[in-house]
Amino acid sequence: MPVTRRQFIKRGAGMVTVGLVIPRVWLADARGEQVEFTPKRKLVVIQLAGGNDGFNTVVPYTDARYYSLRPTLGLRETELKTSDGSSTIISSQYGLHPAMGEIKDLYDEGRVAIVLGVGYPNPNLSHFLSMDIWHTADTNGSGSRGWLGKYADLALIGQSNLTAASIGSLDLPRSFGADKFVVPNIINFSLYNFIADPNYPGDYNNQINTFNVGASRALSTGSFIGAINNTAFESVRGAQQLQRSVSSYKSSISYPANNPLAAGLQMVAQLMTTVPEASLLYVQMGGFDNHSDQIGDKQNDRSNKLVGDHATLLKWFSEAVKLFHDDVTEHGLADDVVVMQWSEFGRRPGENASFGTDHGTAASIFVIGNPVRGGLYGVQPSLASTELDPAGNVKFKVDNREVYATVLERWLGADSKTVLGAQYPNIGFLG
Amino acid sequence: MTTITYEEAAHLLRRMGFGGSPADIDDITSRGREGAVDFLTNYEQIDNREMDDLLRRSFDFSDPLDFPKFNRGELLRWWFTRMTYTRRPFEEKMTLFWHNHFATSASKTGDLFIYNQNLTLRSHALDQFDDLLLRVARDPAMLIWLDGVTNVRGKPNENFARELQELFTMGITDVVTGEANYSEEDVKEIARAFTGWKFFRVRNDPNPFNYQFIVNPPEHDNTVKTIYNGTQSARTGNLDGADVIEVICARRATARYLVKKIFEFFVYPLVPGTSDNATIEKFADVYVSRNHSIKELVRAIFTSDEFFSQRARFGLVKSPVEIIVGPIRMLGARYNPGASARDGAANILAAVSIFLGQELFNPPDVSGWKLNLGWINTSTLLNRFTYANLLVINRTRDLNAPGLWLSHEQLRSFAKKNSKKTLKKLLSILGPLEVDAQMFAALRTYMESDDQGNPIGFALDDLTLDKKVRGLIHLIMCLSEFQLN
Repeated sequence: MPVTRRQFIKRGAGMVTVGLVIPRVWLADARGEQVEFTPKRKLVVIQLAGGNDGFNTVVPYTDARYYSLRPTLGLRETELKTSDGSSTIISSQYGLHPAMGEIKDLYDEGRVAIVLGVGYPNPNLSHFLSMDIWHTADTNGSGSRGWLGKYADLALIGQSNLTAASIGSLDLPRSFGADKFVVPNIINFSLYNFIADPNYPGDYNNQINTFNVGASRALSTGSFIGAINNTAFESVRGAQQLQRSVSSYKSSISYPANNPLAAGLQMVAQLMTTVPEASLLYVQMGGFDNHSDQIGDKQNDRSNKLVGDHATLLKWFSEAVKLFHDDVTEHGLADDVVVMQWSEFGRRPGENASFGTDHGTAASIFVIGNPVRGGLYGVQPSLASTELDPAGNVKFKVDNREVYATVLERWLGADSKTVLGAQYPNIGFLG
Repeated sequence: MTTITYEEAAHLLRRMGFGGSPADIDDITSRGREGAVDFLTNYEQIDNREMDDLLRRSFDFSDPLDFPKFNRGELLRWWFTRMTYTRRPFEEKMTLFWHNHFATSASKTGDLFIYNQNLTLRSHALDQFDDLLLRVARDPAMLIWLDGVTNVRGKPNENFARELQELFTMGITDVVTGEANYSEEDVKEIARAFTGWKFFRVRNDPNPFNYQFIVNPPEHDNTVKTIYNGTQSARTGNLDGADVIEVICARRATARYLVKKIFEFFVYPLVPGTSDNATIEKFADVYVSRNHSIKELVRAIFTSDEFFSQRARFGLVKSPVEIIVGPIRMLGARYNPGASARDGAANILAAVSIFLGQELFNPPDVSGWKLNLGWINTSTLLNRFTYANLLVINRTRDLNAPGLWLSHEQLRSFAKKNSKKTLKKLLSILGPLEVDAQMFAALRTYMESDDQGNPIGFALDDLTLDKKVRGLIHLIMCLSEFQLN
């Protein structure tokens, strides 16, 4: 087992994030390069942190190599059915993990695109570097701007309302690193507020007005204080809008309290249905670094593959996405919403000795929603021993930037070349 | 004696500690530059009995297995109580520096060992670096955190060997010359040198916190290792971890890296180039000539012109701990830690620190917290504002109630006869901060406005104090200027 580059501790299964980008209306340099803003179209990015096991998510159940590499963890064809017995097989070659019944239903309705074999050149097995490579859409993972931040700098400048946000974590995902935009990150709505002395509610407006004098000052750019002041302005402005809006959210959908991704996606739904401009949102769920006990119950019984850490996470993912889809459907927004999932890498096809899998390379990803052309895209990497690299990992088949380019061009209507630095092929799952 | 101004003394106290009251700052001013730095660094000579008594009354860390009395919440309450009450602020600040430098998380080590590590860092914070490093490397927390305990002959684990070089001593490349400091081969060889490092508990030892380091012979790789082959630091032989630490500490790259890390934590961020490289070299020379003494190094840094330069003044972003503890000390607010973390608002400071993005004993990863703008995003900033509000709205009159409050009597001591003087006083106490004329005017307008925003002037009555002076402190703590250190 390779040495984990860094202790990967902070992204436990309980952490979720949604991201919201707030634009700077007065930015004078927002001219020329601006692309048409289509506020109706909304993108939700779900990051599954830790490295999701693509081979046990979209199972190649006719590939004998899969079973020889995974004698214990491999999901048999007979096991590809949900707890109520419905098959999760989606094609003559692939079946979804049996915990993903809801996604299977959406797939059958033509609302799920699965892109096989997504990765990037010269794969890096460090969580941190690999995440940075995905966040920045740059194979070095360097640079301060993320792909969504670049898009926001380009397309969302000039919008006066809350257009984008990250939800659930104290860190802003690097995908949102931007030059001009300050993207809010919201842990929860009640904390996201400018609060003053409750003993003197009449003084609140004086407080806010005085605060805004400070936060509206043009302090030196490129300095700590300039950056802090920009963030200060956006945080309070966004908070006020948020507090006015989100309380009007009503829905018949009940999101289970024990599903951390559902909690995040409910906040996304709340924002989208109450802030019409909210169009770029980001949630994350951790816990996918399944080096051990990927399957098995507390008594280490490995017989029921619906039980185990990975099954729980995929169940949360599947259930949360379905509830979110139902929620936006109820609000008449389902035709305007695309959900895109990613993870920093897949896992090694060969299982390890601890009933888990080590860091891998390419994996399948999901793009979900009414606007999506459902089906299988990309190419499954070969599991033949001659095709694996020295660490036992597969070769990627689809560059992650092709996924980004497809979403940017075909859904957000953005110039993907400007955002990604080069032209990448359209995979075809949208538009 | 080089004299220092009140503003310089306040700067010194904010950086070497968490800021001080006007009386604290006057005291530092009177000592002069070298005198003040000597006073703050020779902290073992400062009477700290008041804090020690409070700790004795408020905590019972006699049994690590007594969970209600010894747990992570209690450890956080304990450290915040220390930082708030100590008369030896630099002892806590330096411990905080080392906690960030040797960033270790209790999520993996457990509470007992993270506590032991904290004691080690505090007791040896200003010792010779080589000695501190060896102690930390042999401490159970590090042996668990970077998998030393599973690093055994034949199956080496490279985790510690890598971070020892990359994060704790030299960096991947020399911070001045940019040359590579080590190879992947060195990581492998050094991992072998550290094989068999273990800890154990002495049987029948009456101190339940006492663990001993040992090299377990059957698990230690007793063969020849070659490190830094082809460089001036090359060594071949049956090296043990202690030998490796000695070799690494003797390298100029370590002196430079350590100087940069300490300087950037306490003074200002350095930029690549001749000028700042010269600064690194200057202090690296001090460090080397003083036998790697941390105390001599920090003494040189804190008495330097760089430290008192305009570039340094408010040239860092306050960390969450500085945001939390600083104003309590500056304003003379009260924090009553109570007798248990579960006792009302006893652990309020720890709770706030988590929402501000700095959970002590649980750094994000082994590289520590991202400083300066790494602390700032819309959520952490709103949470800073919420803390500022929390500090001013608690008017607790029950002195026995655990929690945080700012008394009316304390407010009255800030009040001057008009809004201008009162504002100046509070800006001075909370910095001293300099704000531009537009901001100053806006804050005065706030002080003199009724709820409809009409000017009604500023009167020194109890209502104005309770409403507008509290509100003013909140607003000053929300200023971007206040976020700087």
